[in-house]
Amino acid sequence: MPTTTAESPGTRAVRPFRDGLVALDPPRLLGSRCAACGTTAFPPREFCPSCRAVEHIDKAELATAGRIHSFTIVRQAPPGMPVPYVLAWVDLPDDGVRLLTTVVGTQPEEVELDQPVELELTPFGTADDGASLMGFRFRVTTRGETR
Amino acid sequence: MILDPVHVAGAGMIRFGKHPAETTLETMGAQAATAAMRDAGVRAADVEALYVGHVFGGPVAGQRIGARIGLAGKPVSNHENYCSSGATALREAWIAVGAGLYDLVLVVGVEKMTDRVKGGVQPDPNDLDASIGFLFAAGHALSARRYMADYGATREQIAAVAVKNHAHSVANPYAQYQKPVSLGEVLGARPIAEPLGLLDCSPISDGAAAVVVASRAGLRRLGIRSAPRVAACALVSGTVQAGLGDVNEEDISRRAGAEAYRIAGVAADEIDVVEMHDCFTIAEIVRLEGLGVLPRGEGARLTEAGYTSLGGALPVNPSGGLLSRGHPVGATGAAQVCELFWQLTGRAGGRQVEGATTGLAYCKGGSVSGTDGASVTTVILTT
Repeated sequence: MPTTTAESPGTRAVRPFRDGLVALDPPRLLGSRCAACGTTAFPPREFCPSCRAVEHIDKAELATAGRIHSFTIVRQAPPGMPVPYVLAWVDLPDDGVRLLTTVVGTQPEEVELDQPVELELTPFGTADDGASLMGFRFRVTTRGETR
Repeated sequence: MILDPVHVAGAGMIRFGKHPAETTLETMGAQAATAAMRDAGVRAADVEALYVGHVFGGPVAGQRIGARIGLAGKPVSNHENYCSSGATALREAWIAVGAGLYDLVLVVGVEKMTDRVKGGVQPDPNDLDASIGFLFAAGHALSARRYMADYGATREQIAAVAVKNHAHSVANPYAQYQKPVSLGEVLGARPIAEPLGLLDCSPISDGAAAVVVASRAGLRRLGIRSAPRVAACALVSGTVQAGLGDVNEEDISRRAGAEAYRIAGVAADEIDVVEMHDCFTIAEIVRLEGLGVLPRGEGARLTEAGYTSLGGALPVNPSGGLLSRGHPVGATGAAQVCELFWQLTGRAGGRQVEGATTGLAYCKGGSVSGTDGASVTTVILTT
């Protein structure tokens, strides 16, 4: 593969770590919604996981407010994955979506079931072309803070 | 049922564990295969095909094994369904023999892990969950915490699975660990993915297991008058999940069980012994519930009460399960069938389930982001 020395515009750009999964500004998760039954899916699907429709599946921006349905503090992981980290099932009640995510913003030992959390973007490494890749995680909402 | 009857004519395995680097995948596979062929009394020349399940063995591992045991030239196929690979290989053999293509075939499950897997197994790197930080231990920890919250189960009840299975393993010479562990040891073990600790997790292991699969004609050829029958070998994959339902619904296990019961013509309450994929303590509980052999939400309590212990109403994992026998992922499905074969032929020694005539083996392999699993196999053996 030829190497280019001149930096073309965009090579140091920021882009989602996977196409069509997150929007950068404003930060949103992107899913799909079935026009027939209203089911929202994340990641976006080309069919409806509830009613199996394959037509009229629309793109959808997901709500940013969630709550912790279950969580674990990961204490051992393969090399290259710093521990501990909190991994959780987070529910987005407005969309009826449950997704897997890391959770930050508090000591791991203080994470609780049903705790409110909010979406934020976070770097997910660097692409081969030098672009920084943006992924997502959720942050525990400060006590007393309203959505 | 259009398949002709299919039987297990013999079984063999090597002790699972951490074997030195020079004990290769090929060595282990050949040893287990040879033991199974000797047990069935079949010569390599009379084995018509070889089915090999493995995950990390690299290209054509089956042919590498076949060449060592006199099967070069025969049809050899490799089967990967993560932890269900060994059972998936058996399923292909079952279909081919039941369809009348062959009378005598060999199934090998094999894995060499300790020289290539560190810190736990993960989904494929292309899978979304892998990029989020998913590990199998973490997935089961999420299940455990929710199970406790939803059903009022205690941490001690979940740990009881490890205590039970390690107690069973004392009588299994093929198990990686053959020592009892106490409840205190399970609860006090180093945390891996909370609430699960080291003794809630099956180990990273090396090993191989094999069975000879035969038609009725094949049994006659070997001079075997009766042998356990493979009454069903079902396979399902996960479905894409939507909504905010119970993460421990285990619909994939329900479907895998229902398919096996349908094919075998056996009801859940006719099962005498289960070899369950206890890759993690909580997994044994929720999968038994999914199969319908324990009531939903009751599995943890019933485990603590001894219902699934040897001598209990439904012994689960008399072998010691993955927690004690070890979990060389591609070998596990074949090892479970070896155990059921020994149980149904009265050869299980100090871990024998008295009078067992119907056994079920369950494997779950892999994960796919957004689904309730990748592959589940359910094997039913009957006398």
